[in-house]
Amino acid sequence: MGQDEVLTVRGLRKRYRGRRGVQANDGIDLDVRAGQVVGLLGHNGAGKTTLVNQVVGLVLPDEGTIVLDGIDAVARPGQARARASIQAQANVPITGLTPRLAIELVGRLRGGERSAVRTRAGELIEALDLGPWADTRAEKVSGGIARLTAFAMTVVQPGRLVVLDEPTNDVDPVRRRLLWQQIRRLADEGAGVLLVTHNVREAERVVDRLAVLDHGVVLAAGTPAGLTASRQGTLTVELDLLPGATVTWPDGVVARGSSRLRESGSVPAEDAAEVVRWAQRQVHQGAIERYSLVPASLEDVYVELVEDERRDAPAEEVAA
Amino acid sequence: MTAVRQTLLLAQWQFRRQSTFLPLLVVVQVFIAVATVVGYGLLVGDPPPEVALYLATGAPTITLITVGLVMTPQLLAQSKTEGSLDWMRTLPVPRGLFLASDLLVWTVLALPGMVLGVLVGAARFDIELSIAPWLVPATLLVSMTAAAVGYALASVLPPPLASLVTQMLVFVVLLFSPVSYPAERMPTWLQQVHEWAPIEPMAQLVRAGLAQDAFTISGRSLLVLVVWCLVATGAAAMALRRRA
Repeated sequence: MGQDEVLTVRGLRKRYRGRRGVQANDGIDLDVRAGQVVGLLGHNGAGKTTLVNQVVGLVLPDEGTIVLDGIDAVARPGQARARASIQAQANVPITGLTPRLAIELVGRLRGGERSAVRTRAGELIEALDLGPWADTRAEKVSGGIARLTAFAMTVVQPGRLVVLDEPTNDVDPVRRRLLWQQIRRLADEGAGVLLVTHNVREAERVVDRLAVLDHGVVLAAGTPAGLTASRQGTLTVELDLLPGATVTWPDGVVARGSSRLRESGSVPAEDAAEVVRWAQRQVHQGAIERYSLVPASLEDVYVELVEDERRDAPAEEVAA
Repeated sequence: MTAVRQTLLLAQWQFRRQSTFLPLLVVVQVFIAVATVVGYGLLVGDPPPEVALYLATGAPTITLITVGLVMTPQLLAQSKTEGSLDWMRTLPVPRGLFLASDLLVWTVLALPGMVLGVLVGAARFDIELSIAPWLVPATLLVSMTAAAVGYALASVLPPPLASLVTQMLVFVVLLFSPVSYPAERMPTWLQQVHEWAPIEPMAQLVRAGLAQDAFTISGRSLLVLVVWCLVATGAAAMALRRRA
């Protein structure tokens, strides 16, 4: 374990008791280093929020260790909290306050000095293009602005570890880019960032490492390139169909998904040129509106991983 | 020092979040305090001086108790429901400070009503007060105990149940507690219950603080109150510290 390790989780298990007991975390290992953005992917109920709540001491693990910046977070939740800042999945209600005031108050609550906090809050408001709403009462701001405000509240005085739970929800595309820049900057300035998200496509460009969580275990972890390595040499072809049209894939294309007016398949890179010619013919014949050819994405890998797990899961559930 | 700073910042946060309703809250507090004096006065007609003194010195206690026992748990239940409690708990703030800041907010809010209640009572019934020098710390003890009991209730009970229970408690305080009338008027069993409950000692303490020439508080009552304060504060702090 290196000096720059900000978060080290080993063998973390948590079962929620009750009539329908849920094994939310089932032996999680996870590392976040200073300067890294680590993406945590997983569908709803995969155990992401439980993991985060244990890191900040809101939930007590049944088993396992959490070391946060050298502090045993299970034994000393108070000290651990001082080293982490969290943006929760749900927006923090700030009715009665303005975004600027909320950001500044939280910065000072987190121990920041008044004028430094004011400067930093101003910078964040500028960087996230929140200016027009910064001094509006929170009742009157939209969900996306509230989300960005919650982000700014989290990073105005960041801990060594910054946990962001779905920071891009409700945020418009333009400001989402600004947000990703700020997330990257946080890590570049030395924080360890744990990013919980469903937005695989956008996260892919920002994260250094990824962990895929399902049923309370880490299914796969690695760099985005490492995780997609198995799919290297494969491209994804996507078609937008015209209403009423049907297509039959040419040889070499494996059908991947199909929805109304949308088909996708994967094709080996060496056959790509042939498929492009085929697709162009389909456009001329009026069967498809447009097509695209993209490298196998992390999203594909993620969906595949989780689907594989699903296939194995039923037997396991019966046994349990 | 950090603790004081954080408490004040948290209080500022709570205060500003309630800012839309603040004036209304103060008006309601004042209304309750004045209504207790004037309304009870109507109930009992033209009371003899001892009864009048009882009424006038009971009103501020009722204000303090309703604020602590009703407003505090309602705020907590609200922050539980809207999700801000869980977020606040991720802040690097010692757990006890959440309690302290809420207490501060509600005590400050209760103050105008309490003072006005005393003044209106003194004027309406034409009584003479004799204020003890320790009235302020005594008021704080009462306010803190009431708020801590309310906090503990709201921490333990699910939000809808907590608000039902606290509303019921207001009736108990208003009608079935020896705050605005002497304990002797109650059935014996209820008197015995109140010997161990915190309400009677609260009333006695405030009464003795406001009219020290006419009333005293026994050491036993003070002890009961202090024990309640410690137990309730401990329970509330434990509930805040609890990990699921």
